[in-house]
Amino acid sequence: MSTRRARPLLGTLFEISVANDRSSDSFEAAFGAAERVHRLMSAHDPESDVSKINRAKPGDRVAVDPWTYQVLASACGFARSTGGLFDPCVAPLLQDAAFLPRFAEPCADGWGDYRHLELLGHCTVRARCPLQITLDGIAKGFAVDKATEALRESGAEAGVVNAGGDLRAFGPTPEPVYVRDPAAPGRFFFVGQLCEGALATSAPYFSRTEHEGRQASHIFHPKKGSALLREASASVVARDCMTADALAKAVLLDARRMEPVLARHHARAIVLGPETECA
Amino acid sequence: MNIRDWPVFVAAPLALFAPAAHATAYLSVEQAQQAIFPGANLSPAPVSLSGEQKRAIEDKSGVSVRARDQKIWRVSGGRSGAGWFILDEVIGKHEFITYAVGLNANGAVRGVEILEYREAYGYQVRDAGWRGQFVGKTAADPLKLDADIRNVSGATLSCRHVTDGIKRLLALYEVVLK
Repeated sequence: MSTRRARPLLGTLFEISVANDRSSDSFEAAFGAAERVHRLMSAHDPESDVSKINRAKPGDRVAVDPWTYQVLASACGFARSTGGLFDPCVAPLLQDAAFLPRFAEPCADGWGDYRHLELLGHCTVRARCPLQITLDGIAKGFAVDKATEALRESGAEAGVVNAGGDLRAFGPTPEPVYVRDPAAPGRFFFVGQLCEGALATSAPYFSRTEHEGRQASHIFHPKKGSALLREASASVVARDCMTADALAKAVLLDARRMEPVLARHHARAIVLGPETECA
Repeated sequence: MNIRDWPVFVAAPLALFAPAAHATAYLSVEQAQQAIFPGANLSPAPVSLSGEQKRAIEDKSGVSVRARDQKIWRVSGGRSGAGWFILDEVIGKHEFITYAVGLNANGAVRGVEILEYREAYGYQVRDAGWRGQFVGKTAADPLKLDADIRNVSGATLSCRHVTDGIKRLLALYEVVLK
């Protein structure tokens, strides 16, 4: 028997499932960790650390929470290892397509990428040129990891945390896991049993939309600037959910190039759908 | 490389499950009431909105009001102090969510809990070519209607309708309960 609870967090249904009937304290600790990530890293909240960085002028030092700093450092690490296919500075493209609000002045000379974001230590960051960050492609995975950690600390022996499709299983029992069919998301593929690990999927099927007469989705190629529209998905299995979450985006954009990167992170990928270029 | 460093992921033949609908029940109304207001007394105080109240809520929240009748409980006693418990439903393109919002006496959100999530698709099979390799390869028992499927990984489902619903309920508090 397991107990399941869910709350709307990080823009999605954040679900926690724990084996046996845990006290509500386990759930409160785990949801509390996810709520903290939501407060710090939401690009929609003008008070978040992400919005603070996006409002700062180039050269300003911005102090952030240790959790935000940790995620920024990881995001820049994934940006380097994927050659910029994962880039936290992709926010201007999402803002232009109205997926994210913009709290900063427009920038005439073009926005910077991850190479222009300096991590100065002591939880302080600085932009070397105008840039806009989003941690949407990695913070959900981090929240899943932190919620899992909180469950373990509260004494839970087994369970699954699933943030709208980015999930992590812990405990001795293997969990059957499914991946949505990118061409018909109401269908699921059984892909295997997951034990002490994470699985995250990236796909445009729930976010395809039209903006000012142009087709868009929330997945942009950071270098080409185009939105991914094909009916494909990339799922990554890794030890932690943050790694799975970040790498899933890069694998979706260029699976072959990411093979050595996946190996370096002890991760594996499942790609469904046709292989075609970005629109 | 040590195999124990890896998450154990046993590759299995891919089977395709095509549930017509997929549902999860998280909490009953009573459980949600106790989760948000432990040990409190809740007495039903349902509200039926007048046309004027409906318009005022829509103006304040920017969200349209679908149902005039709103299930509300008045909260007293317990550790949490007085407040309101509101049961609500939102409908998205493919999902139907029942949720509850607990408000403190001053109208601040004390907690939000999802009670039930249901998902349904009327999809057509397009581009069946690449999928043909999976379909029928294994015994893909179609799961029964409203089957409880766990651990589905996919693109993130938006919870925007719940966020809009909470905005609407906060406006309802201002217009009716305050």
